[in-house]
Amino acid sequence: MADVSLAPPRRALLARLRPPRLPIAVALALAWVVAMVLIAIFADRIAPHGYTTLDLKNRLAGPGNPVHWLGTDELGRDVLSRLVASIRVSLAIAFGATVISAVVGTTLGFLAAHFRGAVEQAVLMLADFQASMPFLIMALSVLAFFGNSLPLLIGLMGLYGWERYARIARGLAVSAGAQGYAAAVRQLGATPARVYGRHILPNIASTLIVSATLVFPEVILMESGLSFLGLGVQPPMTSLGNMVGWGREYLTRAPWILLAPSITIVLTTLAVSILGDGLRDRLDPTLR
Amino acid sequence: MLRHLLFRGLRALLTVALVVTFAFVVLRLSADPALIILGPEASPEMIAAFRKSWGLDEPIWVQYVDYFRAILRGELGRSMRDGRPAIELVAERIPATLALTLPALALKLGVGVPAGIWASLHRGTVIDRAVMAMAVAGFTVPSFVLGLVLVLIFSVRLGWLPSGGQDTWVHAVLPIVTMGVGGAAALARFTRSAMLEVLGQPYIRTASAKGVPWARVIRDHALPNAAIPTVTIVGFMVGTLIAGAVVVESVFSWPGVGRLLVVAVANRDLAVVQCILLLVAATMVCSNLLVDFLYGFLDPRLRQGARAGAH
Repeated sequence: MADVSLAPPRRALLARLRPPRLPIAVALALAWVVAMVLIAIFADRIAPHGYTTLDLKNRLAGPGNPVHWLGTDELGRDVLSRLVASIRVSLAIAFGATVISAVVGTTLGFLAAHFRGAVEQAVLMLADFQASMPFLIMALSVLAFFGNSLPLLIGLMGLYGWERYARIARGLAVSAGAQGYAAAVRQLGATPARVYGRHILPNIASTLIVSATLVFPEVILMESGLSFLGLGVQPPMTSLGNMVGWGREYLTRAPWILLAPSITIVLTTLAVSILGDGLRDRLDPTLR
Repeated sequence: MLRHLLFRGLRALLTVALVVTFAFVVLRLSADPALIILGPEASPEMIAAFRKSWGLDEPIWVQYVDYFRAILRGELGRSMRDGRPAIELVAERIPATLALTLPALALKLGVGVPAGIWASLHRGTVIDRAVMAMAVAGFTVPSFVLGLVLVLIFSVRLGWLPSGGQDTWVHAVLPIVTMGVGGAAALARFTRSAMLEVLGQPYIRTASAKGVPWARVIRDHALPNAAIPTVTIVGFMVGTLIAGAVVVESVFSWPGVGRLLVVAVANRDLAVVQCILLLVAATMVCSNLLVDFLYGFLDPRLRQGARAGAH
């Protein structure tokens, strides 16, 4: 009899330890994103050639070439190596920008929730303003005024989407502030920074992470758009949008130059979006 | 209702003032305007004279007020490239851009909204999944990739349509389709979720429970209420009519405002960039006001004299 009564809890424990079953689309998306991150980290070791190395004998070689698997561009540079280098740059910019925008947005949201009144109105107005202006136009204006550099580009992309974090963080912090645990630590004499950083932030982090995965693909698209226009990442550095922009000149003669980065952009944004949707369903049903 | 609109109008003016301030601050932070306009070869005397004539030796707040006044008079500076007034340069490009963005907007509305409604009414079925899969694809493919792939298929391989230029209406087909697809996808997604939200409301159940035919429930109860959030996103699309084609115009070498902006940014032609920025802000603010006005019509709670509980 004893083992009969023990069986259900043990099964429940096993079920809890087993990794949750993923839908196929989410699993594929996760695999793609992990692959992209690994490629970005180990770009130097993976790339078969230097991404600026010229091979003038093999200019515009087609894909399937034994030396250059994905072919070469107009200067004989290896498309695969350039693709790998571009993935690193594009992901680094998108990641840096997402972190900046999440930190800025969350901080402003907390400030609005803490001080209320005029500060809150100012933050909300800025958020409205940011949401109502097309980001591309603002980004282009700033680039026109200040010229172009990589830190500026990352900082600029870091402004993308901050208003969404700010609104979410403000809303959640206001409701969390009314709950017992925040009031309790405040009564114990915790500073506001401690209340928000150590107690409220961990409680609302899942929602913010979900928003970040939803903003991330948009940042990739925005950066690749700017780089495509020749106003984002500048040569000799390369990014996915950059490759498409330069490859456009050879659209008829060498479409592979442009197709490789294009497919990478589409699959990566798609994968991160699917992952974001999956995370949202799992972590935060309120965002649906 | 009137108070609501008045409040919104004030807020719109404040937004424009904010953009003007943004332009002023960025302009003053970026470089000495005298050096930018006169060029690095200008002599110190010329620069001093220029500063005096443009009031650059005044305190910063006087400059700020003057800047505001100049913009209110429509003086937006001259292009550094050919010395023509920036506003003229921008204005002559607007028709070309509208020739793309207006049909594209019609395409977005004509395809996106019905597709979203259709998917929401068949929630969970093959139709819903197919529409949503297409919507996600349309949303994740950047417009420059879509444009170039369309060129590759329809211009290079099939030779049916021209790949760039602006001679006949045939040239506009690919750019319009490129812009329309992305917008239609976004709109379909948005309309679907707005409809699903409304269809889950108790008043829909009430209406169908008291025997109203389903088609009428959709037409009279669901659609008008789902239109309220959808109008917001359409308003944003209307606001981007003038400069929403930056990437697509570059792909198809279309001589519109977007192309002008990209060239001006690359050459750091600040007067032109500033002019476009202010123009976009003004259209955006106007379309937001229009949206607020439409809300007044669509949402009975905001309509003056509406009886309580009309729906």
